[in-house]
Amino acid sequence: MTPMRLPLLFVCTWWAVLPAWWALSVLPMSACAEASASASASAPRWREGYAQALPDMPESDRAAFFRGRSLFRQNWVQPPSDDPATGLGPLYNRLSCVACHTHNGRGDAPPENGRLQGALVRLSVPGKGAHGAPRPHPVYGDQFNEEGVPGVPGEGRVRVHWRTSVLYLPDGERVAMRQPELLFQDLAYGPLSPTTAAPSAVATLRSLRVGQPVFGLGLLSAVADETLFELARTPHLDHVHGQPNRVWQAATRTTVLGRFGWKANMASLDEQIEGAMVGDLGVTTPLHPHEACTSLQSACLKQATQGEPELHKDQLQDLLTYLRWLAPPAPRHSDAVRAAQGTALFHHLGCAACHLPSVKTSTTAAFPTLAPRTIHPYTDLLLHDMGEGLADHRPDFRASGRQWRTPALWGIGLAQLINAQAAYLHDGRARTLQEAVLWHGGEADLARQRYARLPRDQRQVLLDYLSGL
Amino acid sequence: MAAFYRRRFLKQGLAAGLALPGLTGAAVPGPATAEPVVVLTAYADEVLHRFEAAFERAHPDHRLQLVWRMPHDALPYLQGGNPHGIDVLWMASPRTFHALAQADMWQPLKVDHRDLPDCIGGARLAAPDDAYVATEMAAYGFAVHPESLARLGAPTPRDWTDLTDPRLAGQIAMPVPSVVGFAPVMMDIVLQAWGWEAGWAVLGEIGGNARLMDRGSTFVSDEVGTGRAAVGLSIDFFVQAAVANGAPLRFAYPRHGGINPGHVGILRQAPHPVGARAFVEFVLSDVGQRLLLDPDIRKMPVRPSVYRAAGQASYNPFQAAKSGGLDYAGERTQGRLGVVSALFDALITANHGEWTALWQRVHTAELAGRAADVAAARRALEAAPLTEAEAELPSIQSAFQQLEGAQAQASALRQHWRAQCQRAREQARVALDQAHA
Repeated sequence: MTPMRLPLLFVCTWWAVLPAWWALSVLPMSACAEASASASASAPRWREGYAQALPDMPESDRAAFFRGRSLFRQNWVQPPSDDPATGLGPLYNRLSCVACHTHNGRGDAPPENGRLQGALVRLSVPGKGAHGAPRPHPVYGDQFNEEGVPGVPGEGRVRVHWRTSVLYLPDGERVAMRQPELLFQDLAYGPLSPTTAAPSAVATLRSLRVGQPVFGLGLLSAVADETLFELARTPHLDHVHGQPNRVWQAATRTTVLGRFGWKANMASLDEQIEGAMVGDLGVTTPLHPHEACTSLQSACLKQATQGEPELHKDQLQDLLTYLRWLAPPAPRHSDAVRAAQGTALFHHLGCAACHLPSVKTSTTAAFPTLAPRTIHPYTDLLLHDMGEGLADHRPDFRASGRQWRTPALWGIGLAQLINAQAAYLHDGRARTLQEAVLWHGGEADLARQRYARLPRDQRQVLLDYLSGL
Repeated sequence: MAAFYRRRFLKQGLAAGLALPGLTGAAVPGPATAEPVVVLTAYADEVLHRFEAAFERAHPDHRLQLVWRMPHDALPYLQGGNPHGIDVLWMASPRTFHALAQADMWQPLKVDHRDLPDCIGGARLAAPDDAYVATEMAAYGFAVHPESLARLGAPTPRDWTDLTDPRLAGQIAMPVPSVVGFAPVMMDIVLQAWGWEAGWAVLGEIGGNARLMDRGSTFVSDEVGTGRAAVGLSIDFFVQAAVANGAPLRFAYPRHGGINPGHVGILRQAPHPVGARAFVEFVLSDVGQRLLLDPDIRKMPVRPSVYRAAGQASYNPFQAAKSGGLDYAGERTQGRLGVVSALFDALITANHGEWTALWQRVHTAELAGRAADVAAARRALEAAPLTEAEAELPSIQSAFQQLEGAQAQASALRQHWRAQCQRAREQARVALDQAHA
């Protein structure tokens, strides 16, 4: 046995003791067979780890899955054009979905003083809008669109300055921590907030957001509402208390449970897609038939398209099919004993109270072909107070300025293998998993303190465990 | 001791900003307003993403604005005096660059590229009069699934004629040139290399082994990467990027190959010529050229020194060209690409099931030592539906160049060729029936 093959054998061995669901995942199915064949190949084996379909995707959905993939990767075009992906703008952030969800994973964390390639800034003004949603900025709307099609000025440019400071852990380990400061430049439609020159401008709430991973969303959408309500009722140690967001669903004109987005402000996958299409790309959809121009953006309004939505219903269906069937990667722990220690630490520290390792799905009307199963997303899909350090002070429906939805951790160990510019947390401030852990506050403050007090080698056990997810 | 550590941790945690508000709008240092550079392009996000970030890092005084159009859509977008204020055109579409030269829409680049070759094999990289220059290249060839080939007992194909191997029946993913953008040139490479008549015979026989793909190269990679096909005909970078991302594929460059260059040029009416020139200089620079080797891009640089730095493992088109492997001269026959696509549809795409069945009967008989019995059928299937001279006629070429008013003529020609090909298939079927093959 060569040294090259040893870890791969462990991978196979580890999968053998995992629950049935992991054995069904796409990557493990082929990985053992591949292990001996490609152990010497120089290509990274996991860079497409976020791009596989669930193994039980029916053949009847295969064509739509690939059409959806094309749309997800396609650069969109300003109308008029005979290109099937026509409808970009007038204002937008990026040309394609994949620009902010690199390889279906996290978007790039903004570089110092560089462009927001895989991120955007949400905007609002204090108070609540219709049905409890944030109140959009009267001039710039609810999202800062840096780009405009020719003839329409982009809203301006956001530059990020990372303010770095040093945290010393109890054993003396030095951890550099950073948080973003935003500078808005070249504002094309007037001041964003009160200035000396424009004291009457309205105060603005801003929240920097990095694109989230898009795999496993079909499985998350198949978790029953009642399951999440039950989780919210379940008492936890450390005063951890998950809260469901309740959001307005335009399609049904009712208030429902929210589960997608950094603040769980979207109820369903199709709403998430349609919101991103109109907000990020300026592509109108059946749910959002009007361009996202505010009444004060005349050039935008002048170029706004009318009539049929630019994202056709069949295209929306293809995107839905793609995202519903996109599988989370299987875990890749190479040392079963160490992984078991990591699992124990994960529970002992209190991480599992919010990053729920397992949850059951049910058959849903929206996704009837997915059989019920136990999944391992490491999220409870609920809101938690994460403390002042992570607060964006921008409420969203019932989510306060300190609350964030527990992000799923499945596949997190591949994040920087797949995209070297990826980072963690909502604004990409955490360059390492350790930084991400140390930013936890609020309900997670005790868990963070327990982590910080661990001996260094035990901290590494936990980090290795996370890296293997 | 523990309490001491806790106090220190909490104190330093505060100092580290853990209890500070997440975001502020405070003024932070940054460059003054950047001048835009408006680039019309058809490259994928992977290319644009990296060049945008790297260019702005190198030139913080400029801001890249990317306008995306498919190549066929770029020309109409620029017509009427560059109404959308485009500075730079950057895409792999020699036809579009040539058409804009004919319309006198370029201004001289005035960028020093004397250290870059003007030609590679039969392909021109730099246009006369300094109008535009190539920034990257792509080559054509075969995505192969080694395990599937081994299972079939077939060797890795080294040239186009290897794809007529009966063991590959149903195992070749072949893009349809009338709907897949890169495919017409790929067919034309065979027609130039073998000559018109023999070239169609080769293409037809490959088509008899093929599963036709009406989507782009990512789908060819999928077909081969999942083992649904053993070989896929593709442009290289899609497959090379898939390989770099871990797909169980290899890419084989055929003995007779060709290059499709991606060019950059500055429009005569560019509103921002200084920034445009900075962008062109950047993509031709060593830094810009190295970006092309990114695992997600895998296009071939035009700067030879980059290959020396990349090492022996990577395919070097300049070496391949020296041994005659890239002799395809696209400019010479680019006017007939629309005709080639239409002929491919008439010969291979229409009634493809019947086409593959006929070829399978021919191959089965030949493998049984009855080649003479089915020679007539083979001749009928190999016959080109049009002579090369006819394909060169401007009256025929213009019908397939998407010009207004040409659709009716194109439709009539398509019908005529399809009927002709149907007769040839019928002739082959009768010959096979008579030979009891």
